[in-house]
Amino acid sequence: MTDGATPALAIAAAVRGGTIRARDVVAGALDRIAARDGTLNAFTRVLGDSALADADAVDRRRAKGEDPGPLAGVPFAVKNLFDVAGLPTLAGSKINAELPPVERDATAVARLRAAGAVLVGALNMDEYAYGFSTENTHYGPTRNPHDPTRIAGGSSGGSAAAVAAGLVPLTLGTDTNGSIRVPGALCGVFALKPTFGRVSRAGVVPLAWSFDHAGPFARTVADLAAAFDAIQGPDPRDPVCAARPAAACAGELGRGIERLRIAVAGGHFARLADETSLAAVARVAGALGARAEVTFPEVHRARAAAQVITACEGGAYHLERLRTRAADFDPMTRDRFLAAALLPAAAYTGAQRFRAWFRARVAEVFREVDVMLAPTTPWPAPPIGAPVLTRIGDVEVFTRGHLGHFTQPLSFVGLPVISVPIVARGALPLGVQLVAAPFNEAALFRVAARLEADGVVAATAPTVLS
Amino acid sequence: MSEPPHVDEAEVERLAARIGLTIDPASRAAVAANLAGLLAAARLVAEFALPEETEPAPRFEP
Repeated sequence: MTDGATPALAIAAAVRGGTIRARDVVAGALDRIAARDGTLNAFTRVLGDSALADADAVDRRRAKGEDPGPLAGVPFAVKNLFDVAGLPTLAGSKINAELPPVERDATAVARLRAAGAVLVGALNMDEYAYGFSTENTHYGPTRNPHDPTRIAGGSSGGSAAAVAAGLVPLTLGTDTNGSIRVPGALCGVFALKPTFGRVSRAGVVPLAWSFDHAGPFARTVADLAAAFDAIQGPDPRDPVCAARPAAACAGELGRGIERLRIAVAGGHFARLADETSLAAVARVAGALGARAEVTFPEVHRARAAAQVITACEGGAYHLERLRTRAADFDPMTRDRFLAAALLPAAAYTGAQRFRAWFRARVAEVFREVDVMLAPTTPWPAPPIGAPVLTRIGDVEVFTRGHLGHFTQPLSFVGLPVISVPIVARGALPLGVQLVAAPFNEAALFRVAARLEADGVVAATAPTVLS
Repeated sequence: MSEPPHVDEAEVERLAARIGLTIDPASRAAVAANLAGLLAAARLVAEFALPEETEPAPRFEP
């Protein structure tokens, strides 16, 4: 038997071993979605019959003695920013719903299917990925499984909520400024934003080409590694996908953390946050024996530059739609995209020049440190419909935009990050970012596996849905 | 972050016209506020003196 708590790798082992049929696993996932997604609104499309047909194909491969793949029969779902053959790619928008169905899966989707996983649906998000809350006006807000009055985070909110609620064990999302890590933290699951260029973005609608990333969500570290290993590696369909060969991480989990230099991020990463958020970092640091502190220079400007580049590239990408269909944009994104389109070229060029400088400074820090710890979000999930502004100390910040305070400066320079979930008793989930040098995902998985084994971090089941 | 620069609705209308955008009058104030915020972010970046040789071109690896 499998249920919403069964890890992906346990499902795959049972399907490969013939103790359960992929059809039964997928039917179970579809039943859970039918029972719970009316509350959560994580899915914008559920693939019933085609998912069962795909599951039957997995069962037939096994029956014929063929290898059904390392993720045989594992139900998964993807943010509706990813191309899925036969569906229009909504990108959270009403405008894209008018597009014809695409003919080909995004590379990351195709790779999970090739590993034997079964796609069961597409997931809700902020329109065109320009937000941190998944309060989508067209398709409704995705609700946090730990408290349905609160946001799931965004822009990959459906991806995080579906995993947290046990609807599926694996999902894919994208992250430009925090859109994997923020919802991962607020929903209490493991979430990986890989190194820029490590996972193909072919067949994924862009927000900002300079730092769009694709990555997985899961409830265990081993499942996260299995999903990452299935999707990582070169892809000629994505012009910025790195040519270096895939470096599997599943085998890293048992290596321990000896000889890893782990430090806590100070400065920007220790300010403008709830005490609970900083306490989560301290708890993880304490468990790892990490006492050193590191700082990057000018992190506040890095975040500002990330905002400018995102706005300029997003505004440029959507310019024709803004000219002809502005009224059909989500009010949550429309005025921001319109303003973005009006920025002068010097703002963009200056931000890109700053990015080159900041990347060199970050590289210097990672010569001294292997893994850095930082909060993922400054606070737990805010209520759906929260006021635009929130006061923290004597500073007033944007309630939703400030969710990216700690994530934006890191994706800005393409660093790999795992957000690990940490839940204090009776509290809402929070995340801690494990950050490494480019292409050193292995170190992140070693640390995440140790924290999980020691019971410091875990994706706890939401009590409100059980 | 620096105080946001002031952007008024007339400026939004003028800039939008330059690139063929028509902005609903009901949206202009919100667009102006958002543009002011983005210009403040850009100014924060610009205020930092980068070395002259810092350039934004990506590495070319055919």
